[in-house]
Amino acid sequence: MKMRNIRVMAIVFSLVLLGGLASLDSALAAEPYHLGVDLAITGTGALYCKDGVDAIKLAVEEINAQGGFLGKHPIKLFIRDTHTKPDVAVREAKDLILRDKVRCVLGTYSSACAVAIKPVCQEYKVLHIPAVSNSENITKINFSPYTYQVVPNSYMQAKAVVLGVAELAKKKGWNEYVTIASDYEWGRSTQQNTVNLLKQVAPGVKLKKEFWPRLGETQFTSYITAIMAEKPDFVIGSVASKDNIAWMNQAKAYGFFEKIPYPGSLISVSELIIQAKTLTRGLVGLCRAPFFAHLDIPMMANFVKNFRAKNDRYPSDWAVMEYDAVYALKQGIEKAGSIDTEKVKDAMKGMTIETSRGKLYFRQIDNQLSCSSYLGVVADDPKYPFPIYHDLIEVKGPDSWRPEDEIIAARKAEKK
Amino acid sequence: MDVSLLVAQCMSGLSRGMMLFLIASGLSLIFGVMNILNFAHASLWLVGAYFCYSFWYLMQNHGFGMWVSIPLAALVLAAIGWVIEVVLIRRVYERELPEQLLLTYAMVLILGDLIKLTWGVEDKIIVRPTLVEGPVFFFGIPFDSYFIFVISVGFFVAIGLWWFLQKTKYGHIVRAAVFSREMVSALGIPIPRIYTGVFVLGIFIAGLAGAVQAPVGSITLGMDMAIVVQAFCVVVIGGFGSLLGTLVGSIIVGEVYAFSILFWAKGALVLIFIVTAVILIVRPWGLFGTPMRM
Amino acid sequence: MEILTKKYWWLGLVFIGALALPLVVGEFWVHVAIEILILGLFAVSFNMIFGNMGQLSFGHAAYYGVGAYATGLLLVRASVPLPICLAASMVAAGICALILGYFCVRLTGIYFAILTLAFGQLLYYIIFQWYSFTGGDDGLQGIIPPGALFSATYYYYFALFVVTGALIAMWYVNESPFGYTMRAIRENADRTRFIGINVRRYMLINFVVAGMFAGLAGGLWGPFNRSIAPDLCNWHQSGIPVFMTVIGGPLGFFGPMIGSIIYTFLMAFVTGFTEYWPLTIGLVIMFVVLFMPGGVLGLVEQKMKVFRSRDLEARGDRSAETERS
Repeated sequence: MKMRNIRVMAIVFSLVLLGGLASLDSALAAEPYHLGVDLAITGTGALYCKDGVDAIKLAVEEINAQGGFLGKHPIKLFIRDTHTKPDVAVREAKDLILRDKVRCVLGTYSSACAVAIKPVCQEYKVLHIPAVSNSENITKINFSPYTYQVVPNSYMQAKAVVLGVAELAKKKGWNEYVTIASDYEWGRSTQQNTVNLLKQVAPGVKLKKEFWPRLGETQFTSYITAIMAEKPDFVIGSVASKDNIAWMNQAKAYGFFEKIPYPGSLISVSELIIQAKTLTRGLVGLCRAPFFAHLDIPMMANFVKNFRAKNDRYPSDWAVMEYDAVYALKQGIEKAGSIDTEKVKDAMKGMTIETSRGKLYFRQIDNQLSCSSYLGVVADDPKYPFPIYHDLIEVKGPDSWRPEDEIIAARKAEKK
Repeated sequence: MDVSLLVAQCMSGLSRGMMLFLIASGLSLIFGVMNILNFAHASLWLVGAYFCYSFWYLMQNHGFGMWVSIPLAALVLAAIGWVIEVVLIRRVYERELPEQLLLTYAMVLILGDLIKLTWGVEDKIIVRPTLVEGPVFFFGIPFDSYFIFVISVGFFVAIGLWWFLQKTKYGHIVRAAVFSREMVSALGIPIPRIYTGVFVLGIFIAGLAGAVQAPVGSITLGMDMAIVVQAFCVVVIGGFGSLLGTLVGSIIVGEVYAFSILFWAKGALVLIFIVTAVILIVRPWGLFGTPMRM
Repeated sequence: MEILTKKYWWLGLVFIGALALPLVVGEFWVHVAIEILILGLFAVSFNMIFGNMGQLSFGHAAYYGVGAYATGLLLVRASVPLPICLAASMVAAGICALILGYFCVRLTGIYFAILTLAFGQLLYYIIFQWYSFTGGDDGLQGIIPPGALFSATYYYYFALFVVTGALIAMWYVNESPFGYTMRAIRENADRTRFIGINVRRYMLINFVVAGMFAGLAGGLWGPFNRSIAPDLCNWHQSGIPVFMTVIGGPLGFFGPMIGSIIYTFLMAFVTGFTEYWPLTIGLVIMFVVLFMPGGVLGLVEQKMKVFRSRDLEARGDRSAETERS
């Protein structure tokens, strides 16, 4: 009796041990990291997002070449199209989270989309890194601890522009201006911040009239003629990507830029490349992450080299920021020592990271990266087949972001 | 209110109206004669724009590149129109309205994705030849010189269509078919050939319109969606099958858009749809259409 | 009568299957099922105008969108309990349908279609531009269903309950003398007028009822998606119930619902591995229009000889009407 019992017990014990070892084994087995991308593959944002997607793919390839996150979690990419529409963005984000089980969503293009998917990511406890959208409302109000912003936000950009424009206004004696901004979240946020800040910094300068073409506008003729008839001293533009190209081309045909100064509008590296032949030189423009400003940093130099080798073109701001987003995630995972979302989210708080734009950190109060905005003069350069910015001014993040007490006040007001 | 501002807005409204006329004229013709409301008309217009870009791209080292691409693109679209008519549209002449509408709507979806597959998602820009690159001045007010070209093309198309419909035998047959298919058929004239010809003509004009549009700004996906409903409004306001109506309708819509920017920037399209709805309620056959169509 | 029992038995099975669904499939497919229910309700309400009244409305999404915004705004701005929001959606959509329908029912055929399209776009642009009230093209965010409905499974049962109730209501309307009058109007409006029926008033009532149920569907959609946008009124959205009805078959009550199952399932499936969904659905629609004009139900009915004579009669009369116009 006893012998049989012992034998049974021994068999059971070894089975249990084997089972335990087996399950331990499968727990250690490489669990892939599902990474979701929710960008505007079509719609107004498609122009910028293609670059972004290519950069993400490059970053993922590089990381997977070393085995993935922490060397053992290969990244699996899932890419969805927001169509530049907030409700579609939400639906695709839900798809990514529920069907593809992603742990982090990179994207979106339209700020309205980013604001829409932020609470969804928060609800399902998934990380969210917008790397193109930059409306301040993504970080200022309705704070989500799962959202980390790696783009200089609309306040930061507006402040950078205002500082530059105020200088010019003083020098040239400008008094009246007109704004033209795309009628959607980013356009509204940017225009509002610019007007308010300009009022603070240069109170003598008056806003004469506002123009609001809708997002996706392709015919700017009526706006061009109306603005030129107003004869303002200068015009500040916040026109969204694709529309911006149409706007600038059409305005140029009217001799707009020769007659009226147009400082500080967003002319990203994408526009510099696409409009290489037609862009008016001498314009003072703003951008978010020009690669040529940081070629002294090895991470940037390598990125540019690899991106060019793979895609046969230079990376735009959006490519740089999406690349940084993936690497920010990587560093967060490394600091947490695990791919568990909760641990990563906590690890990323206030973290200092290496980016292609230098060593930057996330501000605790709003998870905003301390990245810079860049102003410069559009000029041809022998090194590149397209114009770049000369006389580049880098306005650092901490010099241009909204003061913390204002953010606290805004959140309090919002809660009411 | 500055006189120069009014003149400027008037002119920009006119150029916008001419663009719409080019698209809407084909749509109106096809509906007037064949009773088919072609949802895909703007999508074919966009295909024309893309083809113009492709031809220009191949010839961009020659100054005349753009000028040649425009008629070439229009001819390609005429061929595509012929194929679509023979393979698809012909099958639904005898069918109910919903099936006809759904067929053309399905074409919209298919064409949209085909464009994406063929040309990709990036914007296409045609660099204009220096002749039409800069502004011309009209009493000190700058205008995009290219629009002189657009307005000219619009007028040529209008006059060409008018001459065709009023002065040629073929045109007379087409106008008769608008009034009564059965009678024309009873006279021994093959209606199917008329239909094919009209459809091809309509799509040719659409392709021409797209090609003319291409150098204005940039060519991008989704432009067709934005413009198709405006084209419908033009045709409704002007009256189906009436050339004069389409011309008047386009100018009205263009000017409403241009002026509303000054007074009620966001309301341009709301206004246009209110006008469209009012016309449909009060006079469904439009300002110049033929009441018998009901 | 035996036709009804034939229909009822498979309905019972379907309902039991629907109840068991969340226990069997993952959360993602529960979401798909909720979408099938909501869009199916939308499509069945559309078919009240299309299949039952014989007119093609290309602007039905206007009422869907109005319903969605009614519920969304009430829930987000005033935290009104969800059932009251849904009732408000029906009322708001009904009022819109009354105002717009008053004009639409004066027209038929293609003019009806275009006017409904124009009104749909009008409503779309109004919601789009009224930024201060509706949030414009940012849409309305943060629409959270209250309490337990936050979980997908509970929301599914809630939607199932509401949609089933709505379907039963519409079924009764269709099977009532009113419903028969609508079909008479579809077959021959002039003859119906001659027997003393005020055709326009009946068409308007039908239009309003259809609009109210579209509003109900829209009201259900907001809390499900957590986000709504003016696009819900767009002509693309109007096209969806048309597709579903044509795929499923407009002559049967459940046609649109079958169409919804096929369409939504196909979309969830296809978008998993390609971005070219419009191409896919465009080809499907073209195929159905050219080769399967009665939709799935039409195909089924061809196999079941019981319905065949009824079907032929309906088609015969409709082609006569075309000739007269």
